[in-house]
Amino acid sequence: MTTPTGHRLPLLEDDGWSRRHVLQLLGMGALAACQPPREPILPYTVQPAGVVPGKPQFYATTMTLDGYATGLLVESHVGRPTKIEGNPDHPASLGATGLQHQASILDLYDPSRARLPRRREGPAGWETFVREFGPLLPGAGVPPPGEGLHFVLPPTTSPLAASLVDAVRTRYPRAAFHFHAPLYARAADEAARAAFGQVLATQRFFDRATRVLAIDADFLGTSPFGVRWSHDFAQRRRVHGPADDMNRLYVVESDLGLAGAIADHRLRARPSEVPLVFLAIARALVRGSPRAPDALRGALERLPADLPHAPWAEAAARDLLQHAGDCVVIVGDTQPAEVHVLAHALNDLLGNVGRTVAYTPTAIVEAGEASFGLEPLLAAMDARAVSTLVLLDVDPVRDAFADDRFGARMAQVPQTVCLSLRETATAKASRWFLPGTHWLESWGDARAFDGTLSLRQPLVRPLYGGHDALEVLAVFAGLADTNPWRLLRTLHQRTGAAPTDATWNAAVQRGLFPGTAFAEVAAAFRADAVAPAVNAMATRARPGGIEIALRPDPRLHDGTFAHNEWLLELPDPITRVSWDNPAHVSHATARRLDLHEGDVVEVRWNDRSLRIPVLPTEGVADDTLALTLGWGAWVARERDVVGTDAYPLRTRAAPWDLAGATVEPIERPRPVGGTERVRVELASGQPHIDMHDRPILLHDTLETFRNQPDFVRPHDDRRPSLYGAWTQHGPQWGMSIDLGTCTGCATCVIACQAENNIPTVGRIGTAKGRAMHWLRIDRYRLGTGEDDVQLLPQPMLCQHCEKAPCEYVCPVNATVHSPDGLNEMVYNRCIGTRFCSNNCPYKVRRFNFLEYNDYEAETPKMQKNPDVTVRARGVMEKCTYCVQRIRTAQIEARIERRELRDGEVRTACQAACPTGAIVFGQVSDPNSGVAALQGLPHSYAVLQHELGTEPRTRYLAHLRNENEEVPA
Amino acid sequence: MPALFPRWSNSALWGALILGVAGLAVLLLAPMIWVRTPYDTHRLHPLDQPVLFDHRHHVLDDGIDCLYCHYTAAVSRTASVPPTELCMNCHGQIWPDSPLLEPLRRSWFTGRPIPWRRVHRLPDFVYFSHAPHVNAGVGCSSCHGQVETMALVFAESPMQMGWCLDCHRNPVPHLRPLDRITDVNWRPPPDQAVQGLLLQRELRVAPPTNCTGCHR
Repeated sequence: MTTPTGHRLPLLEDDGWSRRHVLQLLGMGALAACQPPREPILPYTVQPAGVVPGKPQFYATTMTLDGYATGLLVESHVGRPTKIEGNPDHPASLGATGLQHQASILDLYDPSRARLPRRREGPAGWETFVREFGPLLPGAGVPPPGEGLHFVLPPTTSPLAASLVDAVRTRYPRAAFHFHAPLYARAADEAARAAFGQVLATQRFFDRATRVLAIDADFLGTSPFGVRWSHDFAQRRRVHGPADDMNRLYVVESDLGLAGAIADHRLRARPSEVPLVFLAIARALVRGSPRAPDALRGALERLPADLPHAPWAEAAARDLLQHAGDCVVIVGDTQPAEVHVLAHALNDLLGNVGRTVAYTPTAIVEAGEASFGLEPLLAAMDARAVSTLVLLDVDPVRDAFADDRFGARMAQVPQTVCLSLRETATAKASRWFLPGTHWLESWGDARAFDGTLSLRQPLVRPLYGGHDALEVLAVFAGLADTNPWRLLRTLHQRTGAAPTDATWNAAVQRGLFPGTAFAEVAAAFRADAVAPAVNAMATRARPGGIEIALRPDPRLHDGTFAHNEWLLELPDPITRVSWDNPAHVSHATARRLDLHEGDVVEVRWNDRSLRIPVLPTEGVADDTLALTLGWGAWVARERDVVGTDAYPLRTRAAPWDLAGATVEPIERPRPVGGTERVRVELASGQPHIDMHDRPILLHDTLETFRNQPDFVRPHDDRRPSLYGAWTQHGPQWGMSIDLGTCTGCATCVIACQAENNIPTVGRIGTAKGRAMHWLRIDRYRLGTGEDDVQLLPQPMLCQHCEKAPCEYVCPVNATVHSPDGLNEMVYNRCIGTRFCSNNCPYKVRRFNFLEYNDYEAETPKMQKNPDVTVRARGVMEKCTYCVQRIRTAQIEARIERRELRDGEVRTACQAACPTGAIVFGQVSDPNSGVAALQGLPHSYAVLQHELGTEPRTRYLAHLRNENEEVPA
Repeated sequence: MPALFPRWSNSALWGALILGVAGLAVLLLAPMIWVRTPYDTHRLHPLDQPVLFDHRHHVLDDGIDCLYCHYTAAVSRTASVPPTELCMNCHGQIWPDSPLLEPLRRSWFTGRPIPWRRVHRLPDFVYFSHAPHVNAGVGCSSCHGQVETMALVFAESPMQMGWCLDCHRNPVPHLRPLDRITDVNWRPPPDQAVQGLLLQRELRVAPPTNCTGCHR
């Protein structure tokens, strides 16, 4: 390896006697008395097969989100799961994970989980429950059995759940099943029924699409398929040279989502305007395609001539027409059924079906057509026809429509049973409560978006003694054996999926049954469905007042993760606000209504109201208030309610978009007379978003790049340095981050947090700028103006500068350079002067201002990665390039007497990234992936020209594929 | 005017100065010496164990190889105290009724682990791994001493960073052929300087001396 020589500053010369030596001596007095106690060594009595203490094991398992499976590999250290990785074999993961997958490991160890089963009268065990509900229910013995027995479950894709539902129905033929989830996309099902006569799942192949039109669809963010779709989308967006092609993304939406933020063209539209813009695009498409069916043409031509944003719509439509057959039109789940019908019609018109779009049977299990939603249950409760209500892993008291008054209705039911991970509102209102299990604690199965049958394998026994919803169903089915593993094994033996032990073990090992994806269905679009849909869209009243857009939360989803400290502390991927969900409003509207950041407003809609702080932010449609669902839970760490629960605004008539609301700031009397605004301070992870003309996030159009591929070079030249070189030997590590494919989803942030034992600091700590994330997602504003700007993401982590400014100022050599090019941070040397952090131009060093790690609670300790130090108060820390993974791989390679292979070391952020934007490896190896990427013409290092820090982390500039015809 | 101070105050001043300087030196040196004492490093201090396990008997009398019980040392970070099951493989047949083995049987039949007392303790921020050492020609006795002669195991080496670095900077005197890693009779041959160098070449021994080699 090379050993560059250079001039050395006298100060850095090792003259044998330095400040460090003096400090060493001073520290010595204190050392002698401090020796921690010696804990005993507790070996296994019987060591489980395959377990080697000190070496982690990975097990394939499955997590479901909205019922859909994502295959995962879970790292386990002698029986305790610590980290979640993607399963490369699984179609929904392809080796990557989503935000919630990474974070859910924390929920497993959450001390605030429910522990005790109880009957309203007092504590009662699982055995009592089985004794009470296992025998045929009293009163249900007379035919028809099961009258008045109702179950509420989340929508599921599990064949085992389906078979247990059948088993319960065999015993109680009149038992009713209801599937409830607040975010469940019923509109898509209704649309499929209208368009194809049957419920079908729409599969989109973004890796085949050169043009994408997303109507209010954050398909890269809040969708349960976001991981796979992000991967596919990135395949067509990766540009490595002037010859490469790139897809183009059009987005129409009300609130800025991940897809909208990186879209090539994005149109801000009020919720009521979105369908109209879509109609304008549809009309332009029909006018441009001679073979458009008459029904569609007729319905669209009957529309009024002045649809909003027509020039934009027409330009987008022309582009789509030119790429007919390799584009995708996707509509978000928050849009009503008629909009989905029109999307089906347009995909059909553009010839996308069979190429970029396909239809398959849905993976979601149904128990009768009326089983989705709570309407039949509400009617039965009103008729006093419900005698026993069983609520499994659902919380309708909190998240059912507000006008359902589920809690009040539920109080009239004589017998209620609730199973849930926590003492939810529904649990508190139930007579029977059973603690549930985390998905890492019990056996189960589920299907992925494409139908692939996946197995959920537990990694630990239930930590808090919970039981799975499947077991409760088995009890009601009267099964003698309710063990989920045996139920699962028997079922898949019977269905023929795993006839032998060998096939079963192979499936458990891989986490899925290969080849079980659904075959595509040839679905004929019903031409007569489109006219009613278009009419419904057009006649939708164009309302005045403020419109409210209720949306799934990019972090907490529907509130399932409302107790997850990692997700609560994660800055919102768009607005960078953590520990809160303020209502988003455009800057123009905020000025018009005289609203400022943090002002608490009263939102009134019909007879409902809500108090919530507002945040003027970019990309929100004017006269629109965007709220996210799922917040407002009481969080133990904060000893307070975090965020605002928006479910009380949500009604059956208007589940997503509410029109005609009013917004008024709240005043309160001041002690000195007069009044003042009620304000809250929002904790922001990144308070300002301007680059001030500094070359931090470099970007340009695809056209510029083609004309001048090395347009970043002026910002990336090598500069002369006063500082000497260090000795290099061994592999040289570096990272490349592709800003072109980064969606800013922040999965890497949570993956880093899980891998590196990064603590949370709470709301106040975040507000003081003390968040500990080693890797953060910065957002920078592109373009002039306030609202119509682009907010581009940039993952920012330790750049591992070859001329690291932090190293020169550390008085105790606690941060030094390693021969393989890592900027090392040595916690046990650090005395906490914070000089390094002050001298770091990238602001990636994090200081433990307080003792942030909980040394008291026992279970959260179990999540800690044993390969990484848990840092104490007063110590600086930062990204290490996952040095524990590097060293482990190096030791492995050394034992096997071979060189490290490229791609053998994957950092936590790299492994989690759905789009593969992060690549890590040896820059010293010219054949490595990272060296190839760093050699691309648009690869640059942040602030290299200004500071000459020579970072090892380099970025590929963001490129956007602009359509010149689209009006700005 | 009479002298303010008596004559002896000159001597007293010098005495005080010398005592002061000596005191300072002691203040500085005492902790440095202290942290190097076996008392502070817990060196040479045999610990009573819950089972009267005698390495002398198992290694010398029975000729059991180190890696038979500490079998993860070659593949993992930890050398592992063996599971009770491994003891019972033999002691289910040999001395099955011995009162000395009562704690072992209790562990076996109750499923509760034997709480062995830790002899070698490294700070939490040290990520030591046995495997690369064992595979690089560093024998058991190089760090653990002649365990086969210890009635109760004690730490032979101070296990301090300076001691680690001595070998990491110059591993040649401590390298031995891989087939003699567990050999309790191995002593450096007279030409160890040459043999060690050859082994270092052959095994490509390049121990890290940078911080993240051991601290992460």
